[in-house]
Amino acid sequence: MVSLNTDPCQASVQFTLDGQPLVALEGQTIAGALLAAGCRAWRSTERLGEPRGFFCGMGVCYDCLVFVEGQGQVRACQTLVADGMRVERPHRAERGAGS
Amino acid sequence: MIRRALVIVGAGPAGMSAAIAAAEAGIQATVIDESLKPGGQIYRQPNGPAAPARGTPRPGEPLLSEFERRADRIELLSGAAAWGVFPNRQVAVSQGNDWQLIQADGLVLAPGAYEYVPPFPGWTLPGVMTPGAAQALVKSQQILPGRRVLVAGSGPFLLVVADQLHRSGMEVAGVVEAAHPRRVAGSLMGLCSRPDLIRQGWQLYRRLRRAGVPFHFGHVVVSATGNDELREVTLAPCDRSWQPDRTQARTVSVDTLCVGYGFVPRTQLAQLAGCRLRHEAARGGWVPETDENLETSVTGVWAAGDGGGVGGALAAECQGKLAGLAAAHRLGALDRGAFDQRRNPVLRQLARLKRFAAALDQAFGIQPGLACLATPETIVCRCEELTLADVSSGLSAGGTNLRTLKVMTRLGMGPCQGNMCWPAMARWLQTQTGDSLAAIGPASPRPPIQPVGLGTLAKEPGLLGPAGANGAHAGRNGDHACRRVST
Repeated sequence: MVSLNTDPCQASVQFTLDGQPLVALEGQTIAGALLAAGCRAWRSTERLGEPRGFFCGMGVCYDCLVFVEGQGQVRACQTLVADGMRVERPHRAERGAGS
Repeated sequence: MIRRALVIVGAGPAGMSAAIAAAEAGIQATVIDESLKPGGQIYRQPNGPAAPARGTPRPGEPLLSEFERRADRIELLSGAAAWGVFPNRQVAVSQGNDWQLIQADGLVLAPGAYEYVPPFPGWTLPGVMTPGAAQALVKSQQILPGRRVLVAGSGPFLLVVADQLHRSGMEVAGVVEAAHPRRVAGSLMGLCSRPDLIRQGWQLYRRLRRAGVPFHFGHVVVSATGNDELREVTLAPCDRSWQPDRTQARTVSVDTLCVGYGFVPRTQLAQLAGCRLRHEAARGGWVPETDENLETSVTGVWAAGDGGGVGGALAAECQGKLAGLAAAHRLGALDRGAFDQRRNPVLRQLARLKRFAAALDQAFGIQPGLACLATPETIVCRCEELTLADVSSGLSAGGTNLRTLKVMTRLGMGPCQGNMCWPAMARWLQTQTGDSLAAIGPASPRPPIQPVGLGTLAKEPGLLGPAGANGAHAGRNGDHACRRVST
């Protein structure tokens, strides 16, 4: 989407989404960084495979879950991007059809 | 386990002012907050080092500065999650990969509220979000949620968000307010108890109108459509009970829909602490029962701010102060005379604010028609992906309260623990069974109410501190949803 940040000095951090390199600004959450990169649907639900993304923005709805290597499932809206972080979009197949 | 005199959960206006009031009375306060910086949702500060434009004061001043100035008596645990309350005011807190059990002599719960969104077709599509979520993106992430937005729901917060998105460069395709102008006008007398807010609301409205933003009063959003993302929103006029007339529906092309119908108090910690709740529709639903000093039914546990019943930022600030003073009095730092002297002006101000809150509810309070937006195919439980038809069959099979519906359908069993689905499904159940919301009951939370990594819990309890102390990113790792390991 559109970044409102015009400060050229703000530090950036590098991370990957499904192996693709992306850049985020320091202090950005995973959700913020994904939205800034134009990615809005980053999860497929387990049962119906429906697209989901950012909804409540404050950690109560758990709709924005992503996988982070070494951390497991996290809320994208509550987790800051760290340099070198490897983020993966949960896909239906990868989650296993448990339910 | 460590021991603290006063533990406050939440660093929004209520939590901050509780800490300040207690600190001024000589009590050491420990404040636990999810965010990296204090302020709560309403005074949310940017996460990163980027400062807001020079010359404009931070929203939340002077409260924020006062809170920071009191650092000698206020211990702030930021980026920390209070995920449980156990008997005798033991609060379980995790921060980063550490956790701790804090035995609190006094406990003030000020966790705030979240937005109420009843299910409607398409509400799970990416691009549909709460107004607060869009605001958070602009405030703390400094990005826009999309290019063209419709802001819908009810209440003055819609104006604030529409204006903020417009000023940040988004095209606001319209504001959709369920309340009818006549109903709002009927509450004008009560609303005038806060002329400052009325003026502010009017200015926002005028500014948006002048910018050509259309307003649709007495309308609700009935559906959102798109393939993988939102493309179109359909709105329709509604009657006084907010029942939409779909024959007069019209469609708007947008990539973002902000939708929220007021706020729901976060009562999970109060429930875990054993506090009795009661249902007060005008204050957002289930709220902890309190005495005039905001002490709950559990001795030594106070509830302040929107988490104790929705009333807005200024009421939250007053309530926080009252709870902080009451806790300081209970802990022996204020004698009866000093307590009364400091508390009485706060009580008077709260009485004034109550009039305004009542008028707001009269103007914008949720009407029963909203419970009928979902069709049988609509997802009503976002976590468990249950449709209204799934829940309906649970109801036909005898599930008339959350406990039985949960067992029969998995409603409310996902990681949000019913936060998102239950307030709306309780209202839907009311239309189906005729039972009162009080009889239907609240969702019952289980600890942990916030994700805690099993690896974290396996460790010995560790020291906690301000997130900044161990680097800006500490405290935001380890957000594991361990409750999901079974699925």
